[in-house]
Amino acid sequence: MTEPAPWVYSDTVKEHFLNPRNFLMGDESKYPHDAEGVVGNPVCGDQMKMFIQVQNDQIVDVKWKTYGCASAIASTSALSELVKGKTLDDALQVGPQEITDYLGGLPQHKFHCSVLGHEALAAAIENYRKKE
Amino acid sequence: MSRRVYLDYAATAPLLPEVQAAMVSAMKAGYGNASALHSTGHAARCAIEDARAAVAQLINANPEEIIFTSGGSEANNTVAEIFRGKKVAVSAIEHPSVLGSMRARTEECKIIPVNQEGRVDSANVPTDVDLVSVMLASNELGTLEPVAEITERCHKNDIFVHTDATQAIGKIKVDVKSLGVDYLTLSAHKIGGPIGVGVLYVRKGAPYKPLIIGGHQEGKRRAGTSNVLGIVGLGAAATWCWDNWSCKLFAEKVRPLCDDLRTRILETVPHSSCNSPMEGCLPNILNMSFRAAEGESIQLYLDAENIMVSTGSACAAGDIKPSHVLMATTGDAEVAHSSIRFSLGIETTQEDIDRVIQVLPGLVQRLQGISTIKIKEEHD
Ligand code: FES
Repeated sequence: MTEPAPWVYSDTVKEHFLNPRNFLMGDESKYPHDAEGVVGNPVCGDQMKMFIQVQNDQIVDVKWKTYGCASAIASTSALSELVKGKTLDDALQVGPQEITDYLGGLPQHKFHCSVLGHEALAAAIENYRKKE
Repeated sequence: MSRRVYLDYAATAPLLPEVQAAMVSAMKAGYGNASALHSTGHAARCAIEDARAAVAQLINANPEEIIFTSGGSEANNTVAEIFRGKKVAVSAIEHPSVLGSMRARTEECKIIPVNQEGRVDSANVPTDVDLVSVMLASNELGTLEPVAEITERCHKNDIFVHTDATQAIGKIKVDVKSLGVDYLTLSAHKIGGPIGVGVLYVRKGAPYKPLIIGGHQEGKRRAGTSNVLGIVGLGAAATWCWDNWSCKLFAEKVRPLCDDLRTRILETVPHSSCNSPMEGCLPNILNMSFRAAEGESIQLYLDAENIMVSTGSACAAGDIKPSHVLMATTGDAEVAHSSIRFSLGIETTQEDIDRVIQVLPGLVQRLQGISTIKIKEEHD
């Protein structure tokens, strides 16, 4: 091979995959959070969990854990950046399309990976609101 | 960027320099249509017949029993065509080109179960079918199947036997006479030949029906202008295997590397397990699972380190379901989603293995650390 082959995914996906932001390493109970949400199932090959800290209806911090593919890691990393500091309502507006656009696109069969993060966050927000 | 470590030989092996040279000189020779009577046509025909003899020699067949195809998938589809409307039985871990074509063309396609190592028990092979197809070695696990034993049983019941030897060829001895099979599939690009050419061996006297009709090529058994360059390449690859005792090379040089890789992964990567059998396995395939770490992520983190492997995870290929092979052997989707296949070749070196051991433990541990699956409690 004379030239390195281009990567399967976009540069932004690659960058987020190789340097994911806001992931939660190790024991989740050590991270103080106001609510969490989980979607997916390891049997289907992917699971996503989101943890949020909320103050005055605003997401002040967010962390995530996943058993998922490269696109799941990248899109959740991107989502975590996009929603930090947003109000709960605004954060809910950040849908899979916005995430994939931000990432410079995902292959069609990888679209559901970006849905995972969004749904886990929505679940976390719902759980938070239930507690209130 | 660190040196490239290619451990995906089971997907495709790099073109051998000898094959490349043979193909380039065939290209320069400007061969004509092998069906033409004039001299350039005749030269092409001779080149094809040389290649046929080389392949026949490698698998101990007669040249007339060798039919060139566009690859392993076409060869497998041809067998399904021969048994169109009949009853067949195939192992649960066959390549999709066997499973899919048999299901589509036959009246009934029974599935023969495999054990945890991916091995068929010949006692489980049905006796009320027309054809049995069991691969010689699994492409995902490396498991060797008892094909000779299966053939012996089947022939007692007048059942024909096909084996897909695509992964086995060149790695272990493949002898159609001692296997006793009626049909055998092989492909060029797994042994350092070009992509797009393969062979269906049809034992003299076994039923036959062409898949592609419309010409007299290959003795009216496979129509279409002969792929001279590809066939020359396949012939050169077969010759290389024969001349260099490739099976011996794999046994003596590749197997120790594969064993070393397995031992060191089990030692250094937490919660790793081996899906390939310890005994009765190809010398070059190692399938491992890494609990709580998803296969495609492992694959792509390795890729970022310039190490190429493959995975049975559904997430990888755009499939919805994980590897049917690992599902058949383990019944555990998580094991399948967390699997990585390392497949070695004659060019693989100790440095390649060392490099994997350098980076794999860290990246798997990181994925396990951010995983939603907790492993602590489940351990022992
Ligand atoms: S999380 Fe399943 S394919 Fe990405």
